[in-house]
Amino acid sequence: MSESEVAAREGEAFDLSPGSHFPDLELPDHTGRPRTLSEISGGDPVALITSRGWWCPKEQRYLRELCRVQDEFEVAYAKLVVVSVDAPEVQSAFRAGLGARFTFLSDHERRWLKRLPLCEGTDTLHDPYRPAAFTLFPDLTIHAAFNGYWYWGRATMEELRLEMREVTRAIRDDWEVPEE
Amino acid sequence: MTRRPFAYIRFDGKRLSADRSTPGRRLRIDARCLQGEPVEGAYAHVCALPDPDAALRYDEPEVQGVRRDALAWWIPMLGDDLICLSTFALDASRCGGAVTVATNPRHFDRDPFARLFPGTVVRTDLFSPVAPPPGPVVERYSGTPWPAGTFADGGPPGVTPARRRGSRPRAAAPERPTP
Repeated sequence: MSESEVAAREGEAFDLSPGSHFPDLELPDHTGRPRTLSEISGGDPVALITSRGWWCPKEQRYLRELCRVQDEFEVAYAKLVVVSVDAPEVQSAFRAGLGARFTFLSDHERRWLKRLPLCEGTDTLHDPYRPAAFTLFPDLTIHAAFNGYWYWGRATMEELRLEMREVTRAIRDDWEVPEE
Repeated sequence: MTRRPFAYIRFDGKRLSADRSTPGRRLRIDARCLQGEPVEGAYAHVCALPDPDAALRYDEPEVQGVRRDALAWWIPMLGDDLICLSTFALDASRCGGAVTVATNPRHFDRDPFARLFPGTVVRTDLFSPVAPPPGPVVERYSGTPWPAGTFADGGPPGVTPARRRGSRPRAAAPERPTP
C-alpha cells in the first residue's frame, strides 16, 4: 500500500481481533530496506510484536526473552517481527545489542501508528506503539491477540510456542506424518 | 519467483558463470539472485572451492552458525552495499559454500561464510538485488540453498489456511527437509 493510499485511508479503523486480517505493513526494516509484512511471512506463520522502543526497561526485558525463543523460530519455519517507532539506525543498534536475528520494522514516521488502534496514548513524550502481540497465519489473518499494556498481559514464550503450534498445524498439510 | 527456487552457477576457482557450457563446479544458488536486472561491476565473495569433494552438511553446527551470523551482523554490516547472498547447495543435504555479492568488497575480509571455505573475490555482472532474508529462520525449504524458497508454493505469500488444507505437498519427497 502506497503512502498516499495510507494517507487516504487514515482514520479508517482496523479491526485487530482474531479472525481479522492484519494490514500488510509496508515499512523500512532495521537496515532501512523497504519491507512488507507479507514478504516477511513468505508463507510462514508470524509472531508480530509491537514495542514501545529501545528506551523502555520492559521492552528491553521482553525482547531479551524473544531472543531466547528465536532459536526455536529459526528451525521451525516461523517468523518473528518487532514493530516500533524507533528509527532504523536505532533499531539496528538495539537489535545488535540484544543479539537478535529477527526483523525489526520501523514506523518512525508513525504512518501506520496513526491508523492502527495500537497507539499508547498515555505516553505523550514518545508517542509509541503500545506493547501487543499478534500471531498470524501466512495470509496475515489474526489467530490471537495479546494486550501487553501491563507487562503481565504480554504473550509469554510458552504462549507463543502454543500459538505457533496451532497455526502451523492448521496450515501444514503434512502435520501428520505423510504415508510413504 | 519460479517454481524451482534455485538456479545453477559454475565456479572454476577464479570465475563465476551462469553458462551451462562453462567448465567448473556446478552449484545451486537462490534463483532470485539471477532473475532481476543485474548489477554491473559488482563484487562476489565466493566462499567455495572447485573441488567436488569440498562439502559440508547443512545440518553441521558450523553451517548453522554462519547463517545465524549472516542474519545477526553480516547483512546489517554490509548495509546498502549488499546486492544478494546465497549459500550453495549441492543436493538435498550438502552445502558447498556461499556467495555474497556487493557493490564494494571492503567488508569481505569479515565474511562469516569464509569460515566454511576460503573466499575468492570475483568481479561479476551476473547478480541482481534480492532483499535479504528476514530471519530468524535458518532452516531450508525443501532442500533449496538458503535463503531461497518458501512453503508458499511459489505464489504470493499469504496462502489461506482453507486453501492450504487438502493441497498436495509441493516439495519432491526426497528433497524435503526434516520439519
